[in-house]
Amino acid sequence: MSTKELVSTIEIPATTSRQDELYQEGAATYGAALERLARAYEADADVRRDLLQDIHVELWRSFQTFDGRCSMRTWIYRVAHNVGASHIIRQRRNRADTLVGLEELENLPDATSNQALDRNQALDRLLQLMQQLKPLDRHVILSYLEGLDAAAIGEITGLSATNVATKIHRIKNLLARWFQQGGKSND
Amino acid sequence: MTELQNNSVQEIWQSQPVEVTKVSVEELRRRAGRFERKIRWRNIREYVASLIAAGLMGYFYITAHDVASRVTFALFIAAMLWIVIALHRMGSARRTPHDVDTLTTQQFYRAELERQLAVVKNVWWWYLAPMVPGMIGCSVSYIMKPHHAATWAGLAFMNALFIVSFYGVWKLNTRAAHCLERMINDLNVATQ
Repeated sequence: MSTKELVSTIEIPATTSRQDELYQEGAATYGAALERLARAYEADADVRRDLLQDIHVELWRSFQTFDGRCSMRTWIYRVAHNVGASHIIRQRRNRADTLVGLEELENLPDATSNQALDRNQALDRLLQLMQQLKPLDRHVILSYLEGLDAAAIGEITGLSATNVATKIHRIKNLLARWFQQGGKSND
Repeated sequence: MTELQNNSVQEIWQSQPVEVTKVSVEELRRRAGRFERKIRWRNIREYVASLIAAGLMGYFYITAHDVASRVTFALFIAAMLWIVIALHRMGSARRTPHDVDTLTTQQFYRAELERQLAVVKNVWWWYLAPMVPGMIGCSVSYIMKPHHAATWAGLAFMNALFIVSFYGVWKLNTRAAHCLERMINDLNVATQ
């Protein structure tokens, strides 16, 4: 079943406001991306379910003030990432793990094995990598993996074009190292 | 050749199987409403408590027979009004705007935490200090009353009660300040 088919089963009351319609459209188009985003922010399935609910509530609430000055995609990613970042900061109080930046991760000795990976292993490793990152860097790598270009990432994060370009360069190096594929990842 | 080498990491990420969460608009409305109601009730509780206390002081003001007591209750009423206004102006939490990028949101959130920290750290100036004139007035009016036998013990008890209340309020705010400092530290560690 496709994403759109799944989301189309959302129950909408007979009288929907513009806010409801925008939410419905956003959830239908970006529902799967939001699921992937939540995976990068929370490893535990039960906690992730709550996080996703929070993202949806915040998205729905945010559409009350959506004025179309930025694209719906930018809006949705901004809201969702901000909920995700708040979640990381809240969770840090209960967990002892330390978050690192892309620069630090790049300088760490390669702890990964050289064995070839199948898709599931690659996905696990990707999640493991992302869950070590600080919110902003996690935000950039997620947006990169979702196929967003540097301009869109800059618009969502507020980082300058140069900063985004540097971070993407680092991400490519990291992915090449972690996945032993010689920097074949796409822009 | 491995499967991974035939696919980009981006393609693997985007094609991972996901089950899309289905949330009805009714459910969203209910959850959002629950949150708003919680905030609204918290504010109502604070204002109602202050109004009840001010009302009680107003009643004492009206029924008081001597000028010193009236001045004391008037000072307490003024202090309470001052506290309510200060709470409203400084303490109300501002919601994070949705139409801004991540960096701006982080700055806003940090500024909001720092503002709240300043409020609880300055509790002496906006909460406790305004009560001091009323407290002094209370002691003066007590001394002026003609029940000499119990005056000093009663006065000591009353002032001890004030001091314990002040200490309690200060301690609660110190705890809140530590909590906010931890939140700011967590935010700094996670974002810088």
